[in-house]
Amino acid sequence: MKALRGWLPLGLMTTLIVALGAYAAQHQSAFLTRYNLGNLLLSALPLALVAIGQTNALLVGGFDISVAALMTMCVVTASFTLQPDKSWPVLLAGALAVAGVGFATGVFNATLIRVLRLPSIIATLGTLSILEGASLLLRDHPEGFINPNVIDALNTSVSFVPYAFIGVVVLAVVGDLWLYRTRTGLAMRAVGLDETSSRRVGIATGRTVFLAFIICSLMASVAGFYSAAQVQIGSPIIGNYALESIAAAVLGGASLAGGRGSFVGTLLAALFLTEIDNVLPLFQQPTEYAQMTIGGLILLALVLYQAPELIARFRSTWVGVGRLRAQAEGEAPAA
Amino acid sequence: MSIPGPGNPVVLSLGGVSKAFGAVQALRDVSFDCRAGEVHALVGENGSGKSTLLGIASGFLAPDAGTVEIGGRRRRRRSPAEARRFGLGIAYQTYSHVLDLTVAENLYLAVPKDVQPPRHRMEKWAAARLEEFKLELLATAAVGTLSLVQRQLLEVVKALLANPKVLLLDEPTTALGPPEVEQLHKLVLERSRGGVGIVYVSHRLPEVLGIADRVTVLRDGVSQGTFDSAAMSEESLVALMIGRPLQLAFPERDETARPADVLLAVSGLQGDRFGPIDLEVKKGEILGLAGAEGNGQVQFLRALAGVERPSGTASCNGHALNTKSPLSALRAGVVLLSGDRAGESLFPVLSVRANITLQVLRRFEHWGLLRRRQERRTVDELVRRLRIRMASVEQPVQSLSGGNQQKVSLTRPFLRGDVKLILAEEPTQGVDVGARFDIYEALRAKADEGVAIIVKSSDPLELAGLCDRVVVMSRGKIVDEIHGAELGERRIVEAIVGSRVTREKL
Repeated sequence: MKALRGWLPLGLMTTLIVALGAYAAQHQSAFLTRYNLGNLLLSALPLALVAIGQTNALLVGGFDISVAALMTMCVVTASFTLQPDKSWPVLLAGALAVAGVGFATGVFNATLIRVLRLPSIIATLGTLSILEGASLLLRDHPEGFINPNVIDALNTSVSFVPYAFIGVVVLAVVGDLWLYRTRTGLAMRAVGLDETSSRRVGIATGRTVFLAFIICSLMASVAGFYSAAQVQIGSPIIGNYALESIAAAVLGGASLAGGRGSFVGTLLAALFLTEIDNVLPLFQQPTEYAQMTIGGLILLALVLYQAPELIARFRSTWVGVGRLRAQAEGEAPAA
Repeated sequence: MSIPGPGNPVVLSLGGVSKAFGAVQALRDVSFDCRAGEVHALVGENGSGKSTLLGIASGFLAPDAGTVEIGGRRRRRRSPAEARRFGLGIAYQTYSHVLDLTVAENLYLAVPKDVQPPRHRMEKWAAARLEEFKLELLATAAVGTLSLVQRQLLEVVKALLANPKVLLLDEPTTALGPPEVEQLHKLVLERSRGGVGIVYVSHRLPEVLGIADRVTVLRDGVSQGTFDSAAMSEESLVALMIGRPLQLAFPERDETARPADVLLAVSGLQGDRFGPIDLEVKKGEILGLAGAEGNGQVQFLRALAGVERPSGTASCNGHALNTKSPLSALRAGVVLLSGDRAGESLFPVLSVRANITLQVLRRFEHWGLLRRRQERRTVDELVRRLRIRMASVEQPVQSLSGGNQQKVSLTRPFLRGDVKLILAEEPTQGVDVGARFDIYEALRAKADEGVAIIVKSSDPLELAGLCDRVVVMSRGKIVDEIHGAELGERRIVEAIVGSRVTREKL
């Protein structure tokens, strides 16, 4: 049951991606073109990156809803530090500045959450407001082109697959191996599942949560680069990535209660959500449908993922809540 | 058993430790030491400072004054990790398991890095450890699927796996019945013979006297001294703990008047892990339910309360008892007092007042608004009646001591006039001596009003002292009944142990 729970999201997401792709390919010749697929993968990058970051926050039992504002802030920063007339050394410094914004935001969030003990949702809501305001202060309308060489470098592809996308796949796979095959990964999940017990057995819970939120913000700033490569201008309005990143993580198997999730699952879910966005215009459907579809799917996925537990809970309601305290002699508990 | 002489090295030493929480002085200049190879018990009522002392020893709390040395090394920081590194292991009363992870994963996380096997060999390693400690558990089972007994034993094993120099056991037997206690004590003594210093905190004085070499008594944050346990008796320990000799541990039974009618009649009731059971309980009777842990006592009680669905019939006051749901049982006048206070009967973050009146709030409603004064009157009266000790009724229940929390959950039957049958699971688990008596008295008072009470307890002394009659369960069936002059602690233990013998023969 436990193993099933882990693989279910991955299987479901893969099935949906393939099914939707097959359907689209049958009805629209434009779908299975190198141009469209390359475009699909490129446009999936910002969401994939930020959602992988978000998965870290969810794993330790938190949320980071400031990620979208942070991505915007990174795009706006890039429109100052990565301008077209700059030389490569200056551009490198500029890129570090963008990443620095991400790092600083991560430290800020983590401090609010760990040191001041604010609930993560409230803390990052505050950060979101601050960053949104700051972005508007710096660019009240889209302006300031991003260096085209940088954009080209970010979008470099082999055949139709962007290098960056290969990088993200590797990152997600390594991330999952770390999460499920190493001691530190186990410790991180333990913190998300039960912080008190984790501290009691000697896990550095504070450091784990701190790191998770810093990684989350850093990933959001990297996602910011790819947003910048897409909008190509210092725009103070970047998409609704806060909710979408949480949606992708949850569809990918992350639990809002913490301790559960998969980076590969998140990546697949991000790909699927982008695919919906990509496919609908091909059928001349308005994008509002995409929004509604995504909402419906999240609910469906949540119900489905919880199903093993729901069934078990339902059963135990009748067979005995008292089972918890009952001697489970000879009972096969893994069932 | 090797007698640990004064020559054995001291593995844990607290010198002149004080600690205050706000205005409350939790510990005042307490010194405590534990030598290698000894079992040093720490006793005291709830709120006497035991938990604070353990917190300071294990590095979760920093003392205001005083020193802590573990394995001869002076602790510098408030750091549980440092305490572990210096060789301190602790088994928590409330456990340190991550319920969603497997037994293997929990064991793995609990040991220091240098003892950890490579991650891919974790499960094999864990299975070997479980066998070493004679725990019959699946390494791949989620800890959440284990019974409380198994969790408690696992907690101790986890603490031992790190090979500590000193092991703190905080109420390690609350969920255990006599056979498991024996198993645990064997394990503890084995380790202590191997040179580990054991600090044993428990409410159960017979256990303490049975296992400890020395005993230190705390009262109101002040050490009352350290004694050789061979020279101590339960009475003398209790006297030190409460500061006065305890004259009467149980309320008087009224032996004269009992022509009462049968209130509860159970016939052929069976369900998951119990039955078929035939049983009658009279009005005003307190019936004890004894047995080794996990022999169906809990399931039987819960079936009567409608939490589990049994087959067979039960009637209450002449009417068939509806056990379809907890609500229908409650309507029939059956109240279950769960043994899992924090999990099932209380709202830990709500105030004492809210916890008491939540279920009968409608009573204080007037035009949709609550009449606070009336509510307060009810609360105050119950607080007085059950002697609940706290700073204010607006205090969150979780900030009360275990005994007082239990009293708050005991207010339930007192609020309702229509209660006919009270089912109490471990009513004094984790409750100190003084509060115990208050709880016994409250139950007896309720019985004297004509209510029937079934008490499930793993403490034979409690059953012998409190109950009018005790039935012993084994394998889900009633195998013995003890009443009248026969009713005593020894007789109950013998019945439990005896029924286990027949069980093994079967």
